[in-house]
Amino acid sequence: MNAVVFYMIALFIAVSAVLSVTVRDIFHGAVALTMTLLGIAFLYFYLDAGFLGVIQILVYVGGIMALFVFAIMLTSKMGDHKIPQVNAQFWPGLLIAAVLCAVLLKIVVDSSWMHAQASAVITDLQTIGRSLVTGYVLPFEFISLLLLAALVGAIVIGKVRR
Amino acid sequence: MNIPWLALLSLLLKGVAILAFFAVNAMFLIWLERKISAKIQNRLGPMVVGPHGALQLIADTVKLLLKENIVPAEADRLIWWLAPFFVAVPTVAAFLCIPFSQEWIVADLNVGILFICSITSLCVLGVFMAGWGSNNKYSLLGGMRSAAQIVSYEVPLLLSVLVVIMEAGTLSMQGIVHAQELGWFCLKPNVLLAFLIYMISATAEVNRVPFDIPEAESELVSGYHTEYSGMKFSMFFLAEYANLFIISAVAATLFLGGWLGPLRPSVFWFLIKVYGIISFLMWIRWTLPRVRMDQMMSFAWKVLTPLALINVLVTGWLLAGKG
Repeated sequence: MNAVVFYMIALFIAVSAVLSVTVRDIFHGAVALTMTLLGIAFLYFYLDAGFLGVIQILVYVGGIMALFVFAIMLTSKMGDHKIPQVNAQFWPGLLIAAVLCAVLLKIVVDSSWMHAQASAVITDLQTIGRSLVTGYVLPFEFISLLLLAALVGAIVIGKVRR
Repeated sequence: MNIPWLALLSLLLKGVAILAFFAVNAMFLIWLERKISAKIQNRLGPMVVGPHGALQLIADTVKLLLKENIVPAEADRLIWWLAPFFVAVPTVAAFLCIPFSQEWIVADLNVGILFICSITSLCVLGVFMAGWGSNNKYSLLGGMRSAAQIVSYEVPLLLSVLVVIMEAGTLSMQGIVHAQELGWFCLKPNVLLAFLIYMISATAEVNRVPFDIPEAESELVSGYHTEYSGMKFSMFFLAEYANLFIISAVAATLFLGGWLGPLRPSVFWFLIKVYGIISFLMWIRWTLPRVRMDQMMSFAWKVLTPLALINVLVTGWLLAGKG
């Protein structure tokens, strides 16, 4: 029963992920990407990580996807005619992708996968919050710096156009 | 395989109950809106079908169900077809975490309030898809305006919810209600400010006057759902009123003590508070004019968001002082 549910979600994620890069219409691709992100949220919910699932939907689907679609709408030409799927960089790109795929496959095959017992890991908020400001405070601050830089960059780009 | 039939049956019944409430509540709210608008504009409103037009909405529902489903020739079929579901399904899902009373809640998740906020944020994609899929410039404009508006007002909305979460120390909807047993949160000055910010942002989130720019009927012929008819249109319409109920229910739970009240049954206290807030929002809708797009955006980013941030800071300072 559990395995069936897991593989159904996994299939859903895989199919929509493939669709999101193969469909010709960019808006359809965005919808497929939304489905992928939603599928990952389902997976989190299914693994009892409710908080992660909720944040996944809030940040990725509600925030980032909305901005993606907004950007697609602003670039009027993007949706009007079908954009070609390949450009001059097709073969070098394929080569890099193949090498990356080989490395990842090697890692997947070589590593000995630990089978964790289904333990009562309660991902309560207190634990997450406390570890963010103690053990992981450096990455946390680093990410905030990165986001600030991105924010300032966006403002600069917006200013230049005017 | 041991399938828990009883649990499945109970889940099914809860689902049916929520869907029934979803539809009946929306019908009641549409009738209420028409009546209140009529009162404010000094007319009678629906009077013919049933006493004081009470059965008008049932007649309208039957009419909408029987209407032909017209697909525009140039529409993007897939996107156009999917859009109403993206709006309606998350709205139904949000009802799962609303505490009608101590016992009447489908799932008291430990991240309840965040679940409601995140699942309703899916609606913006449905609005987008409707605007894009219709292949109509008015629909597209409506969709774009809606995107800008919802993404902007989401920030002060979540920040004002955060103040309540800090005060209550929990994300569970029932936990937030129980935290108010000694006094409603809106009695504290910092939470009162959060309440104000929440109500303004939530009004913008559900596209109601004075923030109904996405569907401004006088300039956009009602925006993203212009091309929809029949059952598809009624899905947008139902979701709109269900969303109105959800934001009011969240406001009642977070700021007005939810189902807490001196006498039993507590579900009535909850409904009184929720419909009170809804009536207030309807009163606003039929009294105020529409604001301009740039006014609305600058208000969100230059007034509401800084105010909400300062409020979060002050709340943290107050709570830290308390120990």
